[in-house]
Amino acid sequence: MSALEGVAAAFLLAGAGFYLAGTVGLLRFPDALSRLHALTKADNVGLLLVCVGLALVAGSPREAALLLLVWLMALLAATVSAHLIARRALADARDGASAVEGPP
Amino acid sequence: MNLVLDVALATALTVLAWRSLAGPDLFRGIVMYVVFGMVMAVAWARLGSADLAMAEAAIGAGVTGALVMVAYWRLRRIAPVEPADPSPRRSRLAATVAVLSAGVVAAIGLAAVQAIGPGGIAGRALVEALPATGLGNPITGVLVIFRNLDTVLEVAVLLAAYLAVRALLGDGGESLAQPPTQRGTLVAALVSVVAPMTVLVAVYLWRAGSQWPGGAFQAGAVLAACGVLLFLTGRLRPAVEAGPVVRAALVLGTAAFGVLGVAMLFVGQPLLAIPGSWAVYLIEAAMMVSIGVTLALLFAGAAGVGGGRR
Amino acid sequence: MTPATLGSATVWVLAAAAVFGVGLYALILARHLLRQLLAVKVMGSAVFLLLVVAAGPIDGALDGIPMALVLTGIVVAVSAVGFALALLVRLADVTGSISLEDDGGGDDGP
Repeated sequence: MSALEGVAAAFLLAGAGFYLAGTVGLLRFPDALSRLHALTKADNVGLLLVCVGLALVAGSPREAALLLLVWLMALLAATVSAHLIARRALADARDGASAVEGPP
Repeated sequence: MNLVLDVALATALTVLAWRSLAGPDLFRGIVMYVVFGMVMAVAWARLGSADLAMAEAAIGAGVTGALVMVAYWRLRRIAPVEPADPSPRRSRLAATVAVLSAGVVAAIGLAAVQAIGPGGIAGRALVEALPATGLGNPITGVLVIFRNLDTVLEVAVLLAAYLAVRALLGDGGESLAQPPTQRGTLVAALVSVVAPMTVLVAVYLWRAGSQWPGGAFQAGAVLAACGVLLFLTGRLRPAVEAGPVVRAALVLGTAAFGVLGVAMLFVGQPLLAIPGSWAVYLIEAAMMVSIGVTLALLFAGAAGVGGGRR
Repeated sequence: MTPATLGSATVWVLAAAAVFGVGLYALILARHLLRQLLAVKVMGSAVFLLLVVAAGPIDGALDGIPMALVLTGIVVAVSAVGFALALLVRLADVTGSISLEDDGGGDDGP
């Protein structure tokens, strides 16, 4: 395994570690907002590390750029979905978690 | 090492299927089903098929999850009571039948995997015939050229599903998905950025489908996802009547394929022969539009679309 | 990355069988129609998996024809789900229940 592949493997392992941390937070934290905090921070950084690790051993600069674009798009999606979930959690807490009427 | 990965994926699939179907909470079950679809997409990628991975993630997990979730909320409003637990005799019957059928499926699969003899005759013929068509993606070759009768009927089935849903829900019934009452500015900004990107990705998938993994179905599913996003944020409103543009888009796939196929008869070629790769692009573009519009309208439960607020 | 060895193909066949069994078990036991629909979809996914894996590899890569058939199957499955959900919603509108078993004997008709 060359030095570059070793560095890439280290990045991938670090990314996996971040994902593990995020999942542990998801399972162990008490309420929706703290779980969201764990998930968004850890998973986005984890994805960045995984993408960087894969970009290092990518076949061409185009592939590396596409991988980073993947991370950017996932970041966009995660941002807005986290925002929506957090708003809903706040609204539920305000209403006393009563029965909901419409689609989320 | 590869075997460990396979066993891990197989275990994950089984556990997810169990959690999705046998859990006490139906909402969690639906979410678990979407996760099951995603792991299935990873399984397809592991088995070496990027086309199937994309299709499963976009259609099997994404669109199906959205459809089921909307129906779940509608059903919950109508009939909020979950049915009671089944009798133990029924549980024993279910367990017996399930184990027996799993055994039959395993036996069939193992017999097929271990069969000795020249298998894959059609597959080899496909590999040999593919370069002559100018395509690089064997799945697109099968779908659009070699077994395109199946694909014509498949697009027709989508159209039939739309018509059947229209017949059931009728005009005047409220549509399934309702736009949320309050919209954050962040979501509006996201839609302004993501919707054009989605169209770009869809067009790329259509263009790339002839040589690399991609194609009309994945592109159509991505367009449908864009449509779902626009419906959810109120940019598109469900309408009771389908306008002429929507009607044209709905039948475009079936019509383009059918007309081209029949036209071939008049030129002296067999039915549904494909004259060149330009025809492949044309047909795939038509199917992409049809699939996207049909799936988005199935999600909205509506006949057509109207413009929403800006 | 293809299951060229016999071992991993066996694993996938067993996975397909297990998922099929789980789906059928849930289909028989479930009373809520939405659960039954999900169970049928899960069984369908298992069958797709079996189709692709049971066809042997052609020169190292998987056979392309079952893959195209499964792609068709995925799209047809989503059409069926759309239609089935409309049926469910209509049934719930008309009879007020989301299970086929609560109406024992007399029912309202179409």
